[in-house]
Amino acid sequence: MATVQDIKRRVNSVKNTSKITKAMELVAAAKLRKAEARIEALRPYADRMRELMIGTARATPSRGFPLLEERETVGSVTILSLTGDRGLAGGFNAQIIRRSLALEREIRGDGADVRWLVVGKKGRSTLRFRRYDVAHAWVDLTDRPTYADAAAVANAVAELYTEREVDRVVMVYNRYLSALTQRVEVEEVLPIPRKALEEDEDRSAYEIALEGDFIYEPEPDVILGRLLPTYLETSIYRALLESAASEHGARMTAMRNASSNAEDLIDRLTLDMNRARQAAITQELLEVVAGADALTQ
Amino acid sequence: MAETGTRTFSLSVVTPEGAAYEGEAERLVVPGDAGEIGVLARHAPLVAMLRAGEIRIKSGGEWQSFAAGPGYFKVQRDRAIVLVDDAVRAEDIDVEQARREIEEAEALLERAEAGDEEIDRWRVEQRLRHAQNKLEVSGR
Repeated sequence: MATVQDIKRRVNSVKNTSKITKAMELVAAAKLRKAEARIEALRPYADRMRELMIGTARATPSRGFPLLEERETVGSVTILSLTGDRGLAGGFNAQIIRRSLALEREIRGDGADVRWLVVGKKGRSTLRFRRYDVAHAWVDLTDRPTYADAAAVANAVAELYTEREVDRVVMVYNRYLSALTQRVEVEEVLPIPRKALEEDEDRSAYEIALEGDFIYEPEPDVILGRLLPTYLETSIYRALLESAASEHGARMTAMRNASSNAEDLIDRLTLDMNRARQAAITQELLEVVAGADALTQ
Repeated sequence: MAETGTRTFSLSVVTPEGAAYEGEAERLVVPGDAGEIGVLARHAPLVAMLRAGEIRIKSGGEWQSFAAGPGYFKVQRDRAIVLVDDAVRAEDIDVEQARREIEEAEALLERAEAGDEEIDRWRVEQRLRHAQNKLEVSGR
């Protein structure tokens, strides 16, 4: 049986671990609040930008734009997986990898090739470990992604697409629902879905006419040609922000569970320790009594 | 406003990181792709593309200045919206930091030139352009 000393050592070790998990939980909670605020801050820009794009698309026939062009045969698909740089976040990274690999099998089943692009060290190392060829990975940005980071990713996928190296780009990421729940989503990124250029709700011709005729400078097709990549950047930026918030939420929950497990463990070990101490005392008493008995006889 | 007799229009300068300016303005000058565009109240409906440069806003009789990245501009019925990927108030520009950013970016570009494939060239070029723009606006 373990001695009191042994158990005490274990209790201390568990206590130290729980200090770390508690600290990590607090840090994740603080980062989560900031990440949530950044999702909120993006909304006005994303909404205005989309309005502008819809309005401009109405002023010009949306044909001949490389990012909108759907390919008849899809020979190669890029999977863009958004993971985190660090672990200890519950199923956050594993879920993305699992979904991405399922998607890969599906695409290969349809006879197309897959090119991997990854955000986050965890995704990169897991995929490389499993001997997948990762064409490019962006790391050290998932904690606090900036718009410029998103623009870099968008630029890379747009280039692959317009140069016809791939015929479709899909993104796998965690959508942030709340601190407790994230949902893995698969989003079509390129070609840009047509519905992105259409109104969400039906507006009457009168309402549209009320807006008046805009002067476009330069021509609307030139503006739309630049709005489409901006839309792509914004979509990827939003996904990066959602993924960051999800990661902090998942880590916070995982660390909270770890802390409460540590507490349970400490309770149990303390009980064991007290039992061991009692047993030792009883043993000693028995020995003393037995020794005294032996003397009186 | 009323006491000065100038008509104002509502203006938002919005970036992906939030609003940089929100409020009434008397005049606005934005860097259009084909040259500066000056805006007063009752401007004709216009949609324009902006290049990186300086945005100037006159509000309450005072001019404010922003170093902004490329973007879009839309005005209709006394409501103007500037959408740019980044906007920093001229007073908030840290000249030393901008200089450092330029140096860093140039160093990274050199490494990319030498064949370092880990570097996203395009990203660094954007950063360089942005830092140069900040320096330029703060120097005015």
